Amino acid sequence: MNDDDLITLVRESFTGLRTTTPVDQILRRGHAVRTRRRIPVLTGALAVVAGAALAVTTLLPGGHPPSPRPSPLPTAQLAAWTVTRQADGTIRVNIRELQNSVGLQRQLRADGVPASVTLTGQENPACRPYPASAALQKRVLSITSEIIPLTHQGPPPSTSPPEPNLVLVFHINPAALPRGAGVQLATSFTPVRPGLATSAIRHGLVYASPQCTGS
Amino acid sequence: MGSQQRDFAEFYRESCDNCLRAVLVSVGDQDTARDSVDEAFARAFASWRTVSRHPAPAAWVVRTALNANISRWRRRRREVPMPDPGLMADPAAADAAAGRSVDPRIMAALLRLPARQRQVVALRLFLDLDTAHTAEVLGIAPSTVKAHLARALAALRDIIPTPRQEMPS
Repeated sequence: MNDDDLITLVRESFTGLRTTTPVDQILRRGHAVRTRRRIPVLTGALAVVAGAALAVTTLLPGGHPPSPRPSPLPTAQLAAWTVTRQADGTIRVNIRELQNSVGLQRQLRADGVPASVTLTGQENPACRPYPASAALQKRVLSITSEIIPLTHQGPPPSTSPPEPNLVLVFHINPAALPRGAGVQLATSFTPVRPGLATSAIRHGLVYASPQCTGS
Repeated sequence: MGSQQRDFAEFYRESCDNCLRAVLVSVGDQDTARDSVDEAFARAFASWRTVSRHPAPAAWVVRTALNANISRWRRRRREVPMPDPGLMADPAAADAAAGRSVDPRIMAALLRLPARQRQVVALRLFLDLDTAHTAEVLGIAPSTVKAHLARALAALRDIIPTPRQEMPS
């Protein structure tokens, strides 16, 4: 086989591979990139303040205001869940424990992601699966687990066992979400441990509707 | 749609498939390649006035996609990979998705090449860049591009079975 034949063979073996992303979706994502770039540099100061606030919030249980009374044992506690928008426009949901799933659902909706969030086994029957390929689902929604370093302020707790510091992380890409679709997240676990069974997690795309995702 | 969007849309339609193929050869995973290429095209549109004047806009997209992939890897390397329940629920669909559209023997042969040789193959074969442009995009000497391509083709020739070898005896 000479070089030309080999090059032709390699090229032809890829001819079936085609992009499936519509140009409109790329344009929307490009507009989002432009918008992020236009944010004035001075807002960096605001970001620092917001970051500090977020750090404080991260040490409090999700969905609940901080206690007005100082704790006698100043130990750090991870949030039950946090929702953060990344610089690339994706949304990152850290779940350590699914408390206040309605609050998480509301927060995701506020960030532009129609969502149904429940405990596993209590999925909303009004939600209908949105037909999507595995590749599309993966582009919209993926799961990893991540070890979050846990820092304690003040004296370390000597009598209590160490806090679990593994959280479940959902990465949601709103730009890849098809029109009319939402995400469904279902988990049924308390503090996540490395031995967490994957059967405790369900996720996928559903048709967005007032009955399912509330929007 | 404005003229800028029309220009970009035409560029996207003409080059998106080849950019995807070039990035796939470099990163080896279709989903990663698709995500990286989408992100790179979005950035290209965001900077279209500049990118449209680039001597090889498609090469800019491929380079940006590869850089985005490296950034994503750096950001997520602390993470512990978990099985994807969605894919586990339908292994047949996962298999089909993993092997779709590309001859697996050719893909396997390409993945056995060193990374730099794969990048040269990607730019030369799928983007039709000449030696000088390939060298410029990769930041290496033109003579190195030629050497990488020659070695890559020689290695592929040894790995990929010819039609005669596949015929039953």
